[in-house]
Amino acid sequence: MRHQLSLTIGPASFRIGSAWRQPLQQLAELYEGYPRPSGETADFTVRLEPTALLRKWFRPSIFITGDHGLADAAPMSLNHGLLAAEMGMNLQMALGWRRHLLLHASSVEKDGRALVMTGESGSGKSTLAAQLGERGWRLMGDEFALLDLVTGELLPFPRLVSLKNGAIDVIAAEVSADRMGPLLGNTAKGDIRHLVPRDDAVARMRVGARPALLLFPRFGHAVDVRPVGQGEVFMRLTQASTNYVALGEAGFGALTRFVKHVPARAIDFPSGEDAIAMVERLWEELA
Amino acid sequence: MTAERRYHRDKDAVACVLEDITLLYHRASGQTHMMISPVPEILDALDEEADSTAAQLHALLERHYDLGEPEQAIAEIEAHLESLTALGLVCRS
Repeated sequence: MRHQLSLTIGPASFRIGSAWRQPLQQLAELYEGYPRPSGETADFTVRLEPTALLRKWFRPSIFITGDHGLADAAPMSLNHGLLAAEMGMNLQMALGWRRHLLLHASSVEKDGRALVMTGESGSGKSTLAAQLGERGWRLMGDEFALLDLVTGELLPFPRLVSLKNGAIDVIAAEVSADRMGPLLGNTAKGDIRHLVPRDDAVARMRVGARPALLLFPRFGHAVDVRPVGQGEVFMRLTQASTNYVALGEAGFGALTRFVKHVPARAIDFPSGEDAIAMVERLWEELA
Repeated sequence: MTAERRYHRDKDAVACVLEDITLLYHRASGQTHMMISPVPEILDALDEEADSTAAQLHALLERHYDLGEPEQAIAEIEAHLESLTALGLVCRS
């Protein structure tokens, strides 16, 4: 590919190739503080290619591909190239990672213990993790949590935090402008802006934590806390994992250990401030 | 005669008891099964080596559980054993 960039995020390394300079330039600026892979090889390759030869110049249209690809992935405009690169990296992890049980969850750490939050897109798990990451917690990741199959430890995957719509202004008000990426308007999920995690999240991207509390957040409802039975937790986490089936018995062992030892609650909240107060209280009580 | 059928448990499975449900990972199929009572109890009563009939399992289970009218309970145990056989978790001799 004409333009290339290599990145390390947590335990995974990526080589991203692009037919255009712009997405990689934006990516390089936002990932400036991240370590570069030490060797020549990378775990995954991501490629941003024109959907057709002429579409490199004429109404440029990006097709995301790489080691693992989805045949029906919709092409994206060059203006959303940064998002395409991020989606490409997520796609490789979701489809190809086998070294850990991968949970579609955000996670933050305090005192060597991790809080894990999982839920549908729009549940508030990303925003809540980003906010906690600015208030005394270490951000471990906003998208994927990696559960070690042997030790049961949770490992970070602190890529850029993908903030959507209303969450953008909330976080932008709390952090310096140089930690915010460009506004990507009118994407399939509305407006998106990326947040660079704090330095400590990047510096400690290889340092895991013992999972101590699992929350199922739900933004936009009156304050409520509900216990969640272990059977339901197990079922929801298998749904939140992209590689549970592929990992076989090792995945079963890791997930059942997590479910048996980590207390779980469903929390509803109308605002970020309510959510943070609930999280801090539950952490004191249960973790 | 269904009462004569003999069954044993497939060895190649690992169970995990959670608060409200029992999980069974079946190595041969790679599938995870979520089980609720009376299935875990029936599997527990089944031996991996020796074969048992539904009536023999009933005799074991009724020591610990109130199973009601025996003929109906044996028929229900047999039905569960047939379902478990279809899943590969139980083998018929």
